[in-house]
Amino acid sequence: MIEVNITVNGEARTAEVPPETTLLTLLRDWGLTGTKLGCDEGDCGACTVLLDGMSVNGCLVLAGRANGCSVSTVEGLSVDGRLHPLQEAFEQHASLQCGFCGPGILMSAKELLDANPSASKSEIRIALSGNLCRCTGYVKIIDAVAEAGAKMAAHGGQSNG
Amino acid sequence: MVEKVKEATRDTVLETATLEALKDIDVAGGGAVARRKAPPPVLKPEARRQTPSVGQRVPRPDSRPHGTGETLYIDDMTLPGMLFAKVKRSEHAHARIVSVDTSEAEAMAGVMAVVTGHDVPVNSFGPSYQDQPILADTKVFHMGDGVAAVAAISEQIAEQAVERIKVVYEPLPAVFDPLEAMDENAPKIHDPAPNIYTRKVIKKGDVEQAFAEADLVLEKRFSTQMVEHVPIEPHAAIASWDSSERLTVWSALGRVTLGRADLARTLDLPINRIRVQSTFVGGNFGGKNEITMEPVLALLARKARRPVKGIYTRHDEFVSSTTRHPFIMDYKTGVTKAGRILGRKVRLVADGGAYCSWSETALGKAAILSAGPYVVDNLHVDAYAVYTNKTMAGAMRGFGAPQVCFAYESQMDDIARELAIDPLEIRLLNAFDEGSPSPTGQVLESVVVKNSLLTAADRFGWKEPGQ
Repeated sequence: MIEVNITVNGEARTAEVPPETTLLTLLRDWGLTGTKLGCDEGDCGACTVLLDGMSVNGCLVLAGRANGCSVSTVEGLSVDGRLHPLQEAFEQHASLQCGFCGPGILMSAKELLDANPSASKSEIRIALSGNLCRCTGYVKIIDAVAEAGAKMAAHGGQSNG
Repeated sequence: MVEKVKEATRDTVLETATLEALKDIDVAGGGAVARRKAPPPVLKPEARRQTPSVGQRVPRPDSRPHGTGETLYIDDMTLPGMLFAKVKRSEHAHARIVSVDTSEAEAMAGVMAVVTGHDVPVNSFGPSYQDQPILADTKVFHMGDGVAAVAAISEQIAEQAVERIKVVYEPLPAVFDPLEAMDENAPKIHDPAPNIYTRKVIKKGDVEQAFAEADLVLEKRFSTQMVEHVPIEPHAAIASWDSSERLTVWSALGRVTLGRADLARTLDLPINRIRVQSTFVGGNFGGKNEITMEPVLALLARKARRPVKGIYTRHDEFVSSTTRHPFIMDYKTGVTKAGRILGRKVRLVADGGAYCSWSETALGKAAILSAGPYVVDNLHVDAYAVYTNKTMAGAMRGFGAPQVCFAYESQMDDIARELAIDPLEIRLLNAFDEGSPSPTGQVLESVVVKNSLLTAADRFGWKEPGQ
């Protein structure tokens, strides 16, 4: 067993886990089930979270690797009940159908817009290339990310307010 | 007050519709039709008046919880004391099972229950034919067949235990090509049943006469491949018994009532003792239209006396869940010089894989739609669904329609090329009109295929130079 200390969505957490435990498994064991397991081999992106601001597949990162790091998951997107512009735009555009890929896509989009809220549609496509969606055909997802980016750019890159 | 306004609006709509109908009849039939007594009112749909919701943007009720990550899919649910199940799958496409030794798995710490096919009270299910075992007991029919299953306190222990189950097989000759499977001398997969398990025939007019009269007869074989649905959420279920021997199953299954009936049949349990709780489904596309491991989870849960969760791995999804039928399609079509279809002969062979699943439905639909949205007065369709030792094909968006669409539209392009006719024109020449009969005699209403073709051609600039 190894001890891991991770700050998840701003909250310090600690756990003793077998060394082969993935970050995805640990997050879900902590009750943060928003992050999904789709393929368990880094193909589908449903488990995407941000590790020190960088998007990673939670199923391919060992929990021990995240020790001492800061992790953001979909549960941390809204603050005090205020939706993130991405969440608002996804709702308005009906970008999620079954919704299973959504948490991963939202986190990949967050990474992009945090760095570049004015990202072009082709930059959005590249940023989401690691996330598979089987329902929507991506059009409404890309539109929503672009709209959220425009809103964030208008607020000087601020996401919640 | 509001009610009155609503009534008035509805009356106005009806009145307008009737007038419209009369106008249409007059134009269409001239004086003779206009003299007819009390023509039946033809209601013209008026979007946003009769059907105020059509065309409106409405937020999806589940959008917000999907976006915040609150939505609970099966794998996000936990019951007290819940165990995790893993299925041991076949190592052969076709083999007799000589023995299954589970003793080593059962002896492992953390393993709470192990079941094999012999533990299933009624070991067969299927929406048309009950040809599929819950867990294979005497024979495996394809590589995805489960032969045993384990419930353990962790997924990892369940996985290790599955590896310690020893199965001895006696391999049998396997058939992978559906045309070979149709041969009388091919190994019978569900012996003594023949490998051809469903046939659909449609005969209309005289195709041979039509071919004799045609200026051009084209013949070609088209084929499509097997396709997996790949829902991002794999198949998932939880089974739990209460102390009065009532079973609750949470499942991502699309057909809840059918699943409940299959559970009752396979577990030999009165249906009123079973509750199937539908949940949020992370993608279905037809692939979650029948039970998979639900009875296995129920048996494990009863044996262990604890709730059991089972989630397919991505590998399980590909080898063990249903797929789209690969089709082999022979098309022969006779046309006039102008491009009018005189007759069409179609032979369809659907590779059903190891079990029937929804092949009956898919083949029927493929046969009916195989002539395309075109008026074909002389038609002969001969369609077969065939067993092979492969992952079974079942329901997937369109139930056999996309396969035949690929074939008839490809052949339309071939005919247009041969006759040097615009591919759009040849379709407009042959397409259904209002009231055209389908190949099985259904009179079609609200036919807009020509409008759709013209609108689409206009939108993507079909007539512009360079196309």
